[in-house]
Amino acid sequence: MDPARTLGPAQIDVVAQLAASTVLLGGIYALIAVGLTLIFGIMRVVNFAHGEFLMLGMYLAFWAFTIFSLDPYLVLFVSIPLFFLVGTGIYVLVMRGVINASHNVQIFTTVGLSTALQNVALVAWTGDFRFVRPWHSSVIIRSGGAAFNLSQVVAFAIALALTFCLFAFMKWTHTGRVMRATAQDRDAATLMGIDTDRIYRLTFAIGIACVGSAGVLISPLYQVYPTAGLQFVLLSYVVVVLGGLGDMVGAMIGSLIVAGVEVIGSYFFGTAWKEIFYFVLFIGVLVFRPAGLFGQRGAETLGV
Amino acid sequence: MPPALRRHAGALAVFGAAAVVPLVSRDNYFLDSVVLILLWGALSAAWNVAGGYAGQVSIGHASFFGIGAYAAALAGTRFNASPWLGMLVGVAISLAAGLVIGYLSNRLKGPYFALATIAFSQVLLIAASRWRGFTSGSEGIPVPFRPGFWTLGLGHVAWLYMALAVCLLYYAVGVYLERSRVGYQLAGVREDEDAAEALGIATRRLKVGAIALSAALTSMCGTLWAQYVGFVDAFYVFSVDLSVRFALNTIIGGTGTALGPFLGSILITSLETYLRAAFAGATSGYTGIYLIIYGVVLILVVRFAPEGLTGIAARLRGRWARA
Repeated sequence: MDPARTLGPAQIDVVAQLAASTVLLGGIYALIAVGLTLIFGIMRVVNFAHGEFLMLGMYLAFWAFTIFSLDPYLVLFVSIPLFFLVGTGIYVLVMRGVINASHNVQIFTTVGLSTALQNVALVAWTGDFRFVRPWHSSVIIRSGGAAFNLSQVVAFAIALALTFCLFAFMKWTHTGRVMRATAQDRDAATLMGIDTDRIYRLTFAIGIACVGSAGVLISPLYQVYPTAGLQFVLLSYVVVVLGGLGDMVGAMIGSLIVAGVEVIGSYFFGTAWKEIFYFVLFIGVLVFRPAGLFGQRGAETLGV
Repeated sequence: MPPALRRHAGALAVFGAAAVVPLVSRDNYFLDSVVLILLWGALSAAWNVAGGYAGQVSIGHASFFGIGAYAAALAGTRFNASPWLGMLVGVAISLAAGLVIGYLSNRLKGPYFALATIAFSQVLLIAASRWRGFTSGSEGIPVPFRPGFWTLGLGHVAWLYMALAVCLLYYAVGVYLERSRVGYQLAGVREDEDAAEALGIATRRLKVGAIALSAALTSMCGTLWAQYVGFVDAFYVFSVDLSVRFALNTIIGGTGTALGPFLGSILITSLETYLRAAFAGATSGYTGIYLIIYGVVLILVVRFAPEGLTGIAARLRGRWARA
């Protein structure tokens, strides 16, 4: 996985490699986390089932590749509308009824969803580890003293492009503005004639489409199995809390921080312990700056 | 019926039925399922102390369960000590961990508190599965069966009465928290913390105390579970699924009630035992189907019957009394 170890120090500039790996990984983490933070920011719901949609995206890519030999990047054209529909369906069936309920009800609703989806995958496709290996996953690019895998670079580029599209949508379209207004003040938005139910449905669908597509994008880089979402979702909680829950720009910066901690931690201490670093970071942030590194103070005590 | 008896009629029925089981049947399979119902019920009752009475909803209680399980298993295999000693060590560590977590996460509410507890259990999971030299890493620790009370190598009937004793203790803790001064203060903290504080209730101390007590009780049962089942696996004892299970039993039975966790356990554990038997021949695990059902049940219960079985029973009784 880590080119710096296989190629030896002579061909690799360590600093350049670590920096490049951090940026590449950070871009992908950002796409995973941005859906989570969007859903939280607008609906005020922490989606504990977020990782399961990532896992479903990975399986979609796996089956498309195995059965139809479809490249994961082509699958994206299917996955974005498909996961948008899945998100809409889950919102209507599960989330709509608890949108005004207490935190505990919302937590256990999404936790229940997570358990159910994980095990649907387990029963349907067994617990075996599966791989998606298109041609580009074995192409190595060298540039400026650093080396990376072609899949990683393309995944990063697409993740960046999708995240940018989402930003542009939120910033410049009417619907985006309406979504931001709902996030700021639900009641005022309702009084202004905004159909908040429609906005929540759209928000959830967009969030799920983001994370499902992220699953498709990372499928050539990671193993596919029913609980594959767990490690990524835990990491995106870290990202999102670091950046401030609901803050999209914060999520981008949080992704870079988490990716940096992971890359540098595994370089010095080995990959086995890399998760320890960001969990310790996570607990530290929750304890000392629970509203995020740049968030408003006091948000955490309101439980929002 | 005297009122005290009427108040505990449900508990009397549940625990009484468990107590007479060995007199009726000596079938090990049946006894085993009763022991598991009692152990899971006690664990859920332990979760209920923090999650129910104090309103500190944790999805990381597997941390304390795992600490208890590992403490006893390591005491036996590494230090050749009694699992009872391991239990004490586990309880001490969990108590300390509960105090620290409760203290540090005191300001956190709702999803933030849940996230912090998940993170803690994940740190322990990684530590236990990677620290090969001490914990045997991801291979897990088989707990050898050594007959005798001191080594907790007991038969099914002895285990049943032991689990029952633990259940009665935890039920008593629940009743105390329902009806004592401390219990009412906790209810105040849970319903409106600012108002409770304004009335002069030491909210912080209460919450931290509830989390620590809950952690210690969970750890104690973790030890018993590991000794009963005979195997400690890091990926199971620290899993999020396990933490959810404690919460699920409690929510189904009735959050913040003394009997609720036990009722939930009867339902969920029996379902698991039944599905395990029904899918015994299937190659890909029964666990999958069982867990799908339990996820769906969780979604449905919090949505349509958030007060749980005890709440439904109370409502029916109220309607019946009025009629």
